[in-house]
Amino acid sequence: MHSNTLNTNQIMRQVIYSLVLGVGASFYFFGWGVLMQIVLGVVTALAAESAFLRLRNMPISPAISDGSAVLTAILLAVSIPSIAPWWVIVVGVSFAIIFGKQIYGGLGNNPFNPAMLGYAFLLISYPLQMTTWASDFLSFGVSIDTVFNLSSVDTLTGATKLDEVKTQISLGSKLIDIDLNSASQTLINIGFLVGGLYLLIRRIIFWQIPVAFISGVFLTATFLYLIDDKVYLSPHLHLMLGATMLGAFFIATDPVSSSTTPNGRLIYGFLIGLLVVIIRVFGGYPDGVAFAVLLMNIAVPLIDSYTKPRAFGK
Amino acid sequence: MLSGTHKGGIFIPNPYPVKSIRLYQAALPDKVVLPLNERMTEKAIPCVSVGDRVLTGQLIADNEDINSVPIHATISGHVISIDEQPIPHKSGLNTQCITIESDGKDEWVEGNITNKDFLQSDPNSLIELIHRAGIVGMGGAGFPTHLKLGLAQNCNTLIVNGTECEPGIMCDDALMQNYPREIIRGVEIMLHICGAERAIIAVENDKPEAFNSLLLYNYNDKISIEYVPTKFTSGSEKMLIKGLLNIEIPSGGFAIDEGVICQNIATVKSIFDAVIEGKALVSRIVTVTGDGVSMPSNYEVRLGSSFEHIVSKSKPNNGNHSIRMGGMMMGIDVETTDLPIGKISNCIFVNNKVQKEAPKECIRCGTCNQVCPVELLPQQLYWYSKSENTDKAVEYNLLDCIECACCSYVCPSHIPLVNYYSFAKALHFKKIEEQRKTDIARERFEYREYRLERNKIERAEMMEAKKKAIKEKMAKEKSQKDKISAAIERVNKNKKNNIDA
Repeated sequence: MHSNTLNTNQIMRQVIYSLVLGVGASFYFFGWGVLMQIVLGVVTALAAESAFLRLRNMPISPAISDGSAVLTAILLAVSIPSIAPWWVIVVGVSFAIIFGKQIYGGLGNNPFNPAMLGYAFLLISYPLQMTTWASDFLSFGVSIDTVFNLSSVDTLTGATKLDEVKTQISLGSKLIDIDLNSASQTLINIGFLVGGLYLLIRRIIFWQIPVAFISGVFLTATFLYLIDDKVYLSPHLHLMLGATMLGAFFIATDPVSSSTTPNGRLIYGFLIGLLVVIIRVFGGYPDGVAFAVLLMNIAVPLIDSYTKPRAFGK
Repeated sequence: MLSGTHKGGIFIPNPYPVKSIRLYQAALPDKVVLPLNERMTEKAIPCVSVGDRVLTGQLIADNEDINSVPIHATISGHVISIDEQPIPHKSGLNTQCITIESDGKDEWVEGNITNKDFLQSDPNSLIELIHRAGIVGMGGAGFPTHLKLGLAQNCNTLIVNGTECEPGIMCDDALMQNYPREIIRGVEIMLHICGAERAIIAVENDKPEAFNSLLLYNYNDKISIEYVPTKFTSGSEKMLIKGLLNIEIPSGGFAIDEGVICQNIATVKSIFDAVIEGKALVSRIVTVTGDGVSMPSNYEVRLGSSFEHIVSKSKPNNGNHSIRMGGMMMGIDVETTDLPIGKISNCIFVNNKVQKEAPKECIRCGTCNQVCPVELLPQQLYWYSKSENTDKAVEYNLLDCIECACCSYVCPSHIPLVNYYSFAKALHFKKIEEQRKTDIARERFEYREYRLERNKIERAEMMEAKKKAIKEKMAKEKSQKDKISAAIERVNKNKKNNIDA
């Protein structure tokens, strides 16, 4: 006897649907490359998952149809620049599926968030491709050209806002001299925020992680901002730039690799938020969501064992 | 006013609702099968033999053991066999049953003691009366009522559990709507027996008809009727006490330690029948429901009638059915409807057989954490149970699990979580038993070693003593010999001297 609520496959599908607004916003600002990355990612994910399941002598169709590989691919695809060459997403997704998930025994057994493992792998291996973003909407033709290396489009690329701020500050500039407006980043973040709220209302994700994550980012950023508002970004910019909302609602909430106790989820989310700001401000990379999530994935067993809830009558 | 509630649990509306709760009086069955021990505890011993004529309410099996419950004939007729028969029990084992064939007359045994003026009676004699009537907890556990009442003197609050055990069951609703007067009187009897200051009758808030019928007959200001949320596991004893009184019974503790006693509402009605009418427990109300019947209904039926006797009245469709006794959550699956209705059979689910969906991997979503009424971590328990790490599972409070199956119900991967826990519990107890056995074996071995060692030492000491004794003896003998030879020599010498002289 089971409830009529969502089953695992439907949950995965709902998460994918709720990404639509964020992906739509990315498409609006960066053009067709966004969708090409997603298609490449999904195809690679299904191929890698099938190949590996065959090697493990496991049935292929139930695993493929659960939607988890597709979700991993989409999350990774929206995290990387839309104009990255095709092999970047192919390598990243293959790594995520094989070394992030299948090698541990498939769905439900991976200690790390596969998409973020793939992202970290790509960022370390191909820093240039991973930090060169489109600076304008690119048409279908131009996107094809850039993704498949047919021609170079240097004039249309640039760094992300967080990257730019980091570079300028390290060169001794003050925030006041930098143009901090980034409509594209803000709108993309709002897109993911709305999608995330949908997941919360459908009770597909629990409130603890996103709330704690956002509080972690906000409080840490506020603390730094109060110390020196000439060098450190304001909390609202930290919330609206980079992968904050994607991370808070879609990455950190991955049930498999996150904490499972109610209080544990609060600690887990808050510390990711804190680490995101620390890495952005003091670390070597412009954004910190991937590393923050991976670091906290390591801490999950410890957090869980210290946050066992009190049982009834104990 | 709606009472408070415990954490967790799930709201499941009755999956097979009916327009009005009618109570059908089931026809007299042709035969009844009465198990001698429904709970697999101390068996009652038959005091009738095959061929005897028995009357309704007549004692047919009893045992001097205080833990056992007497068995009564539930129809008049002849005993046709006393043998092993299948009964609806988790173990699936057969048990000794008395089978009575009806003569269709339903003649009642006479000369029963009635106690209409129960307030003048000694509580202990009433408890004995309840014992003699064969009353057990009718909510599902089947704990002998006289034992519970025997422990309940000096309690302060009596809770009468009028919540249905599980979604879909309607037998208590039917009981409350049809016998409100008897229930209130029954509660008064119980108040007298256990000396409690107040009684609370708990009714789920989706049963206003039952609530109002009780209210209409309640003129006792010690008795209050309260709504509890229609949430699954609200009816579980400890959860109900938490909801009504905000008292949390400690793990491993009992309600009575806190001065609370909880009694099922059908049991209270049986107590009325026993004390006021002088009738033994011979019938109960059973719900027949599920998607395999087109007319879910409640029947007042004689104990020992077959499931089929009332299932056939509920218009079952012609499909393959899966039969389940008890609720959809915690009930037990049985193979056939050819099983006797017992004192604890509150519901029969008749469902169309469906292909079970294969469970998927756990994605650690934690939905199970949210619904666990005991506030456990079902997911962690699942990992440890699956890997047979029972020590760790027990550390995560496996033994506090009430096996309500809320976690299995909500699991998006359709993992039968609760089955893993029952398995782990069984494994845990088996390990403890094995540990106990090895401990005994080790003790025996060590004692044997000690005994052998002791024997060896004793033997050595004995040998030593013997040797010494022999030596002494020899020494003694030698001195004796010496003395003799000395004497002989002396004699010889004397002789010689004499001769010489």
